[in-house]
Amino acid sequence: MVVLISSGAAQAGKSAKTKKPAAEAKKEPPKLPAEKLAKVRDILLGDDEPGAIDAAKALGQSGASNAMDPLVDLLSVGGPPSRLEVAVEALGTLGDPRAIDALEVYAGNRSPDLRRRAIKSLAAIKDDRVVPPLIAALGDQAPDVRAAAADALAARKETKAAPRLLALVKRNDAGAAPALGLLATPELVPQLAELQGSVDDNVVASALGEYLKRDDVADPLRVDVVRTIGHLSGAAATTALVEYIATVPAKDDRASKKEAQKLIDEKGTVK
Amino acid sequence: MSTVSMSMMKLGAVVSLALAAGCATSAYQRAGSSDDVASALGKTPGATATGRPENVTGRPLAFLALGGAKGPRLAAYDLSESRVLWTQPADIKSRVAVGTDIIVYGVADALVARDVSTGAERWRHPIGKDERLLGYDVDGKNVYLSVQEGGQHLHGGKASVRALEAKDGDARWRHEFASGNVGAPVSRGGLVAVPVASQYVTLLDGSDGAQLAQVLSNEEAATFVRALPEGLFFGSAGVFRLEPGTAAGSRKSSGYVKAKLPAFVRPVYWFDLYRPEQGDYSALDRNRILWRMTPAGDARFRDDLAFVHNYRFFFGFDARTGELKWAYNHPESEAVASAVVGDTIAFVSADGDVGALDARTGARTFSARLPGEVVRGATFDAEGWGPRGGAASTPPLGDTLTTIVWDPDRRFWDVKMFAIEELARQPGHGVTEQLIKVTEQQGLPPAVYQKAGEALIARKDGSAADLLARVLATHADYADGKSAPAVEILARAAGAMKATTAAPALVEHLKRPETPPAALTQIARALAAIGATDALPALHDFVTMYRADPLYDGDPTPLVAASEAMLALGGPAERQLLLYLAEESHTVEPLRVHLRRALAQTAGAEARLRAAAATADE
Repeated sequence: MVVLISSGAAQAGKSAKTKKPAAEAKKEPPKLPAEKLAKVRDILLGDDEPGAIDAAKALGQSGASNAMDPLVDLLSVGGPPSRLEVAVEALGTLGDPRAIDALEVYAGNRSPDLRRRAIKSLAAIKDDRVVPPLIAALGDQAPDVRAAAADALAARKETKAAPRLLALVKRNDAGAAPALGLLATPELVPQLAELQGSVDDNVVASALGEYLKRDDVADPLRVDVVRTIGHLSGAAATTALVEYIATVPAKDDRASKKEAQKLIDEKGTVK
Repeated sequence: MSTVSMSMMKLGAVVSLALAAGCATSAYQRAGSSDDVASALGKTPGATATGRPENVTGRPLAFLALGGAKGPRLAAYDLSESRVLWTQPADIKSRVAVGTDIIVYGVADALVARDVSTGAERWRHPIGKDERLLGYDVDGKNVYLSVQEGGQHLHGGKASVRALEAKDGDARWRHEFASGNVGAPVSRGGLVAVPVASQYVTLLDGSDGAQLAQVLSNEEAATFVRALPEGLFFGSAGVFRLEPGTAAGSRKSSGYVKAKLPAFVRPVYWFDLYRPEQGDYSALDRNRILWRMTPAGDARFRDDLAFVHNYRFFFGFDARTGELKWAYNHPESEAVASAVVGDTIAFVSADGDVGALDARTGARTFSARLPGEVVRGATFDAEGWGPRGGAASTPPLGDTLTTIVWDPDRRFWDVKMFAIEELARQPGHGVTEQLIKVTEQQGLPPAVYQKAGEALIARKDGSAADLLARVLATHADYADGKSAPAVEILARAAGAMKATTAAPALVEHLKRPETPPAALTQIARALAAIGATDALPALHDFVTMYRADPLYDGDPTPLVAASEAMLALGGPAERQLLLYLAEESHTVEPLRVHLRRALAQTAGAEARLRAAAATADE
């Protein structure tokens, strides 16, 4: 078991107490001593597979400002896939923008699982340079990779991803639907509604359901969306309406909520 | 006329029995006698090539079997005046044969004769319920038909050839065969040739039905006999001129010829006369070899040309070399019938487009329409017809081949493959562009990409590098519904043409997960061939990312190719990395073995380079 965080964090904390105000100390990440870093690098690149995996995880959890270096070194010379997977995830945990290039390379790995991890790690980095590879990953052949990219783009509110997400929804990609709902502009909603009949109703309902939950949508438009969902078949349509009502405060008596409730009641009556 | 009434024929008829059943003597004991064949050819009056149509009007005519909403009909079309002479209701079951005054064709239960000029029915020769019409021909004033009585098709029963008067259908003579294994008769110049038992051609005297000779086709089946103004011909896989020298059917004889043609060509020189279904207009009319012969001497295709009719396409080949001389792409509909009528290839399409091509150039020389008609088949009697209208000039062969390659009809991949192959032989930057365009298309059969790619590689046309780079810039994208182009073949082409501008696009494909291993290998080789040192980081990433991946344990070829490229393009830093990878325990064993060997082989050169550099520094 490789333990890094205790010593590094402790050291960083100690120096913060003595030299800097508490608020500022929180922002400054710990730094691993050079000797320890060298030792971890040896483990990462060595023959002990479980040891290397533990070391990679520990580096990620350390939050140390220099923990990225040995991980990027590992990715740079390569190694067994299981070790690389953990290293990629650890870089995501660290969220260091200097790892973007290495993660971009692994976002093109032949293993869909490794690609998905690389996309998630890129998504965790607060830097605009990750957006193009995330948008590109929406074109990945693997659904899990596309879904990871879609979720990441939705979380970052990258509205420029909406047209590609719509293209995926048109191809019945369920993984892209919630993200589209979160990013769609009002102009895109009619296009989404028009997919009814050509795309699985559950996929359309999933996208419109997420759209309904947004705070930035005017209620008259929500009413239209609720009605569109009401025309959709499948469990996802009912779920979307139920979930929408659940997000609205009990005292809020908005028209879209009433309409949603009415449609749920009607669906129940039909049953 | 029933079979009973036929036995009451005019006394002029001669019944000659080739062999009485049970006779110990072979019916074919003199088969293959060149003397007999010489005598037969000498005894009959023969035919002279008049260079004009057979029919009495002297006009070039096409007899069209029409269908569609107006029902089954037969029409005579005057090619010289572009007009229909007559149309008659007719449920044609076998193709029209043209004589001087009449035409004949088969219906369900009879052979029907109509007046050439008016289409009026002249007579009808019934085929009995226990009879099978095997085929027929008209030779001037006489009609000959093969009929089998009893048995199954080609098995059992007895066959006979019957001669009828063309003018009234009256019986003239009847020649009985020992078996039912007989094909349709063919007549020319008073000689009637009848294929028998797949191997023989029995020659009968057209005047009385007497057997004159038998050809024995020793080396290939004689499934057809064909009468042309320039002579009688027989064969199957090739063509024998009927002459004393081919009496024994030797392919070594100078009377035998076979065209050299590409693999896509269906080797049908003429219809199989043993198969009555080929006696009707069928798909076979649309996919076969068209040919004519020199009038005398050794068997040789006229002008050394053989033509291929392949549904919508016509090709002219040098029959000796197989060289493509011209190509014609008929737009939209299939040509359902065609014939070489001298220097012209006449054809008619299913939607009533009547056309002619110059046999020497493939230029369209005639065009007429039969609006609203559905044409099922046609027989041409248009010898010597030579229209001189139509296309002012023949389009360049490359242009026509390009139209074939890009023809939207997806049925003809074999023809398109051939067109690509031939296109590749044409010079010019435009051809290279077309070949690249093929590799860019989605959804083509893999063999098409392969063919276009191989042609591209062979051309080494560096002027197309930018276009190649543009095509390679396309990537697979699920959201956009796009697939990658044929990267493997394009990479090979890029390497062959040293397409420097394509290197960045190749690098992008090297990085992408969907690029197939074979393509990765070719990309690495191409980058090395191009000398793309800018690709070193990508090669580095590729080798390191996968060098310990069990995926490449079985076949490390892409990794080997990429490491080779690094060695070729890189310097000490790359060498050092590869040395590390060669010793690192997680590197897949086949790659380690290769790296050790490659590094050892290049160590001397490296040392010499270092020494030279050191000397230079001093």
